[in-house]
Amino acid sequence: MDPENWKNEILCRDKQLSILLSLMGKNSQATPPAIFIYGHSSTGKTFLSRKIIEAKGAPQAFVNCIECQSQRLLYEDILGQLSGMLPCVQNDYARYARCETANDFVRLLKNLIANEKWEKETVYIKPLSQDQLKINVKQGVDNAERLRNMEGHILPVFLRLSELSDCNVCVILLTQIIWEKFNATSGYLDPVKINFPDYSKNELLQIMTLDAPKEYSKAFYSSYVNLLLSIFHMACRDLSELRHLALMNFPKYIEPIEKGDATEGDAHKLWRNIEPHLKKALQTVFLREVSSSQWEQYQLSDTSTLPPLLSARAHVELPFYSKFLLIAAYLASYNPAKSDRRFFAKSHGKIRQTKRMKKAETSSQLTGPKAFQLERLMAIFYSIVDVRVAPTAHIFSQISTLVTLQLLSQIGSGDQLDAPKYRCCVSLDFIRSVSRTVNFEVMKYLYEFAA
Amino acid sequence: SAKAATPQIRSRKTPRKTPSKPLEQARARLHVSAVPSSLPCREDEFTDIFSFVKGHLIDKLWGCLYVSGVPGTGKTATVHAMLEELNTEVQEGEIPAFQTIEINGMRLTEPHQAFVQILKHLTGQKATPQHAASLLEQYFSSPRPKSKPVVLIVDELDLLWTRKQDVLYSIFDWPTKPKSGLIVVAIANTMDLPERIMMNRVSSRLGLSRMTFQPYTFKQLQEIVEVRLQGLRAFDSEAIQLAARKVAALSGDARRALDICRRATEIAERTKQKGSKGTVGLNHVEWAVEEMFCSPKIMAIRNASEQEQIFLRALISEFRQSGLEETTFEEVLKQHVSLCRLQGFTPPSVSEIWSVCVHLASSNFATWKL
Repeated sequence: MDPENWKNEILCRDKQLSILLSLMGKNSQATPPAIFIYGHSSTGKTFLSRKIIEAKGAPQAFVNCIECQSQRLLYEDILGQLSGMLPCVQNDYARYARCETANDFVRLLKNLIANEKWEKETVYIKPLSQDQLKINVKQGVDNAERLRNMEGHILPVFLRLSELSDCNVCVILLTQIIWEKFNATSGYLDPVKINFPDYSKNELLQIMTLDAPKEYSKAFYSSYVNLLLSIFHMACRDLSELRHLALMNFPKYIEPIEKGDATEGDAHKLWRNIEPHLKKALQTVFLREVSSSQWEQYQLSDTSTLPPLLSARAHVELPFYSKFLLIAAYLASYNPAKSDRRFFAKSHGKIRQTKRMKKAETSSQLTGPKAFQLERLMAIFYSIVDVRVAPTAHIFSQISTLVTLQLLSQIGSGDQLDAPKYRCCVSLDFIRSVSRTVNFEVMKYLYEFAA
Repeated sequence: SAKAATPQIRSRKTPRKTPSKPLEQARARLHVSAVPSSLPCREDEFTDIFSFVKGHLIDKLWGCLYVSGVPGTGKTATVHAMLEELNTEVQEGEIPAFQTIEINGMRLTEPHQAFVQILKHLTGQKATPQHAASLLEQYFSSPRPKSKPVVLIVDELDLLWTRKQDVLYSIFDWPTKPKSGLIVVAIANTMDLPERIMMNRVSSRLGLSRMTFQPYTFKQLQEIVEVRLQGLRAFDSEAIQLAARKVAALSGDARRALDICRRATEIAERTKQKGSKGTVGLNHVEWAVEEMFCSPKIMAIRNASEQEQIFLRALISEFRQSGLEETTFEEVLKQHVSLCRLQGFTPPSVSEIWSVCVHLASSNFATWKL
């Protein structure tokens, strides 16, 4: 292990590196029972801790908790990695031991350490690498919720694993959320907490310059990254995302040089060439609406039109009555029930009432769709469809099909047959395009937009 | 077939010392497990149960008796004394021989295991719960002219409750059969258990022969302790009275009174000074009572850290302001920070206050939910 050699590889993490190295010491020395490393995504948590532990050469196990949906998988994975007996084709999918409970885990871990004569060495276990949380956040699942769904004793056991097994075991926890979110009513043994702060703009520049291709000088690539950051740093500080963007757009940047229109020193010309391009990339690539390979093709083909965006392609072919049902559902969701008389009844009472009703406190377009009952949906449907429609099984099955297509959602599973309630889940743009195909002017019937 | 080994624990290397000093002897006698041969202050209850079971055995009438009373009032001890007395009468030939089966609801992993246990005691047979239930049903409904009648003691009856109540039903249904030869003595804590948890057809089979053990009064408790210490000069009489009065005022639990007296002997032994009598006095009992009945919360609050105390004060002032028993962490945080400012401390960070809160919650001073 020679951390001095890492100076060129690991940039801008000197403080964290020295803290971790001093905490871990030599393999024969006692370590803290648990180290809790937290920071935003791509701040080098996994990279740094993996690098240090691997350099130590001590027995080690790296576990990703998203792969371990049950505690048994977690324990068996750790034991397998430590003993070097991971299930694979060569060993006929054998595993080190069957381990169902935390009790078994501690016993087996102790046996393993005694058998392998590791008493003098530090054993590193790195579970709860909560990349799981990162992915869950993107899926929109509350992460703390997920943690509480795990059995309550797992985290306390890992925090005092060295005490329970009476061996020199160090557990390293990596996560994006802060320690306070982990606390439970019964209290935990506090781990050593280390924060990995975000990289500053200069640090990002320094790290990204490492990617410079061989044909061009570092200074040249650095100035390119600087340009890139001036546009993207406002929206994104994620190192891996920025590196990806830099690699994607570099061919376009050097295009004038390759063509011979400009030289490396011609900063202004290069900037004028790349700037509109990057601004377009901000709208497209970053949101993954155009896939990276499509973006590369677009750069090579020199066409100025982008392929249609994912969001713009949101267009569904529906049967005639389904369209009207969907429009009716939209009107029922976004119009207050008391305005129905005014829009859909043949004679809608006195005019002066409508003046008073006109001003709504908050826009229903902002507060989201409201729930409505099936009867109201059918009433609106019959009033907006000009022809006579019999209430056949086809019509009702179309409603449930719309629910399975997730264009409507059914709420409250209480009364499925008698009084089902629905909500419309489509956007205004979508409903406008649908109504255009059936020649229905939806804006005239929307409470907020109708004159 | 080889005889199964009887389970046993290892024997001691050195024999146990016999108590020699008066205080040691007192401690041995005051132990809850050292039940005296005759139970003081439970003579009436003893006679009632005894005559019930004896009468039923002689008349060959089968039935149930329900015994209730708060913990520590001598229910199980009285029933055991009754069984012993019956056995001596059997040996004297006054009543026909009978078999005793005891089950305890607390010792069963599952209510239906009661059937397995009863069958095992009755015939030595092992079976699954369902099979055992049908075997027992058969056993108690067919005539058995040669076998002895059975006295079944069911302790902790409330734990045999199941949703269908089939265990309770069977236990109380067997004695109603004319050929069963079964007398059931059921023991539980609550007096109205049959009315509260049992279905009508179960409680009607249990019948109306009930007996309630009242909690001990202070005089009875005093007598219990005095009987145990007969012939020993270890306690001052006022000391026993104090312990008895304290316990009677709270629960009337004899175990509690004995425990307090034993603790008092330990205290007396530890604080013995040269030249003193060496008996347990009023102050020792007072000390023991305080140790047992006082909640440790006030001590814990007194010894809490400065920030924890401030947090508790913030919590109280928040409750006073809002008039509610529940509040959010955010509100307490505001109070905490302003209390810190008032006292001239730099207020801690949110994380630090949160860890204070978690620490208090883990020692049960506050409960919280996310």
